[in-house]
Amino acid sequence: MRHFLVMTLFAALASVVFGAMAKDTMQERLLYGLKVFAEFMVIGLVLGWILYFIP
Amino acid sequence: MVKTERMQADEVESAPASAWLTGAAAWFLPGLGHLMLKRWWRAALMGGAVWLCFFVGMAMGGHLFDLEAEGSSTLLQVPPMIANLGTGALYLVSYLLDYGFKDDPAQAARATYEYGNTFLLIAGLLNYLTMLDAFDIAAGRKP
Repeated sequence: MRHFLVMTLFAALASVVFGAMAKDTMQERLLYGLKVFAEFMVIGLVLGWILYFIP
Repeated sequence: MVKTERMQADEVESAPASAWLTGAAAWFLPGLGHLMLKRWWRAALMGGAVWLCFFVGMAMGGHLFDLEAEGSSTLLQVPPMIANLGTGALYLVSYLLDYGFKDDPAQAARATYEYGNTFLLIAGLLNYLTMLDAFDIAAGRKP
């Protein structure tokens, strides 16, 4: 659980910076930040499950 | 014709001294560049993310890289040191206080040690992005 929280915090901090510096309007920035956050989380979980099956 | 185009390109590419100063300030103290530009929200979000990332990394027991590491090649220390250096004053103050640079086995045995290292590296890299953003705004290349 702690690992997941750390990953979530990492994804949140990185996506805040990516979202704030990208795009033009506030709405576009928010959507982009959320998209980056979701990508971090999904890719992290997928990689976690792949590594789980690799001895 | 070519000369005129080159002159125009030079005019576009040159940035005012204030932009360089803003960029340097943004590197030195995360968030300061945007504060100088009166971009309060960006300063709070981007600078805050860098500060938080750094202190969370320290709290997790991560360590900062320098060129004086024992048991490994000095050359291998350069890339992570450059990433850590991105935090500017946070790195420099830690270096002066010799805090966070020791790589003792007890610290390395912590479950969050590698997470801490990653957070510290990412804090510096995020601040480089913040610095470039502040520079672009100050140079008028970004709204």
